[in-house]
Amino acid sequence: MIKDSGTAPTVDIKDLRKLYMVTQQESGAGAAVQSLIHRRKLIVPAVDGISFHLDPGEIVGFLGPNGAGKTTTLKMLSGLLHPTAGEVKVLDYIPWKREKAFLRQITLVMGQRNQLVWDIPALSSYELNRVIYHIPLDHYRRTLAELTDLLELGPLLHKPVRNLSLGERMKCELAAALLHQPQVVFLDEPTIGLDVTMQRRIRSFLTEYNQRFGATILLTSHYMADVQALCKRVVVIHHGKLLFDGELAKLVQKFSEYKTIIVQIGDCQNNMADYGEVVSCEDGRITLRVPKAQTARVTEQLLADLPVIDLLVEDPPIEEIIDRVFAQEKA
Amino acid sequence: MNYLRLTMAFFWVGVISEVAYRINFFFQLFQSLISLGVAIAGISVIFSYTDSLGGWNAQEILALVGVYLLVGGIIGLIIRPGMEQFIASVRDGNLDFTLTKPEDAQLLVSIQRTNLWSLIDIALGMGVLITALVRLGEKVGAGQAGEFVLVLVAGGSIIYSFFLILATLSFWFVRIENILTVFQSLYEAGRWPVSLYPGWLRYGLTFVIPVAFATTVPAEALTGRLNWQTLVAASIVALVLLVVSRLFWRIGLRRYAGASA
Repeated sequence: MIKDSGTAPTVDIKDLRKLYMVTQQESGAGAAVQSLIHRRKLIVPAVDGISFHLDPGEIVGFLGPNGAGKTTTLKMLSGLLHPTAGEVKVLDYIPWKREKAFLRQITLVMGQRNQLVWDIPALSSYELNRVIYHIPLDHYRRTLAELTDLLELGPLLHKPVRNLSLGERMKCELAAALLHQPQVVFLDEPTIGLDVTMQRRIRSFLTEYNQRFGATILLTSHYMADVQALCKRVVVIHHGKLLFDGELAKLVQKFSEYKTIIVQIGDCQNNMADYGEVVSCEDGRITLRVPKAQTARVTEQLLADLPVIDLLVEDPPIEEIIDRVFAQEKA
Repeated sequence: MNYLRLTMAFFWVGVISEVAYRINFFFQLFQSLISLGVAIAGISVIFSYTDSLGGWNAQEILALVGVYLLVGGIIGLIIRPGMEQFIASVRDGNLDFTLTKPEDAQLLVSIQRTNLWSLIDIALGMGVLITALVRLGEKVGAGQAGEFVLVLVAGGSIIYSFFLILATLSFWFVRIENILTVFQSLYEAGRWPVSLYPGWLRYGLTFVIPVAFATTVPAEALTGRLNWQTLVAASIVALVLLVVSRLFWRIGLRRYAGASA
């Protein structure tokens, strides 16, 4: 049974912390021998007091550089890790208790790992999940048909998983994780290593799945295209701390101090540096980076000084902004 | 009931995946026949000098070899493959998928993998056992057969719990695949009645590494040697180990989740 969540958030995290005890190992034979007797232990905060919540049906991007604490957070949300402190609630359950009623309503997809059995066709693994999740047969058939249709799985289902390409395998993994129609979907790098076409395919599938089943999705990805296509809202963490929580557009506004101006003129001129930082110059197409506040003034000047054929003002690519966010924090 | 359904589902998947590697059937058959041949050769050499070994005659020892193969087959069929995969999954992180499933994780881990070809050992073991009993000309009554099944189940549970405890150590020490191989070698000691071994080893094989309960004791049941004290002891040890291994598993899981950190 699906709990009536009313207006309660689907995912609710308050001041969540996770500390890891790490044994330090130094290089060298002497240190190795010493470490057998006495190990230096370090306490590392992987997640250091973050709070946010997800509303039912939202798709939210969960961003941060490697080691920021994203996977640790996802593991606490799906009940794999016990928080050191703070509160986690998903669908009003406490994840680490791993109640069956809770586990039946969530799923965790990790792009770098597979749950499908290597030597058998995906369809046989699906059968296993059907038994494990107690999915009624007619229900199972309907969902499988829908997923097969959305992901174009038809020709893949009967081949042993080891014979599938990375992208094909990921599609089959997604279907395996969604057969029980979970209300909450945690996706850790679902498009990692996939080619652009396949990434796009997975993205449109996730949008479709979210709309059709009303599932709440929390997604981590290093591909900003995923985030831009799927998520209105992003949560950014770094060093285990929350940096930003809000609309993607606001993130751009908040953290981009520069605009990119692209001007098309006859040919490259060497005095362009007077207007701003020259990023590139090819065939008379010059890309300048200009502080946001000066955009209007520089544009005006360019138009006045030069025989401009075309002019375009843009926000820098989102990757660049994200880089800047993380760099800022370090400084 | 649902557990049975799950077990069958996993077994069926095991069948499908193993059929892809048909060649293994012949490897296993070859290996099982060699193992049986060596055992029979050993018995015939020894019994060409004597009529009795620690009170067991040739046919009784053969019956023990049958039990040894049968139990070895059960270990190979369902106990060891699951535990091996579990140890690997702690290391590569795939255990996470098992833990997010709405089913008891110990059950899933235990039945997740089967090695179909071990059925050969089970069939061979039963064959040897029946041959030995027929040659003994002994009538196995319903009572004796019942005792045999009971101590076999107890022995199987003891071995399973022991494997689970060893495998659960992987929550603390990540690289411990070899521990199961060590156990497998010790299991080979079960080919002979434990009463043949010197005292310290006999106790070791009974209480430290409980091989005796899995092989000698069921064979005793069939050859009319089993006393009620052993029967009760086997049942109690089985129950205690099942509970202890379950508790140990839960402590291990808590550690995996970092609950104590």
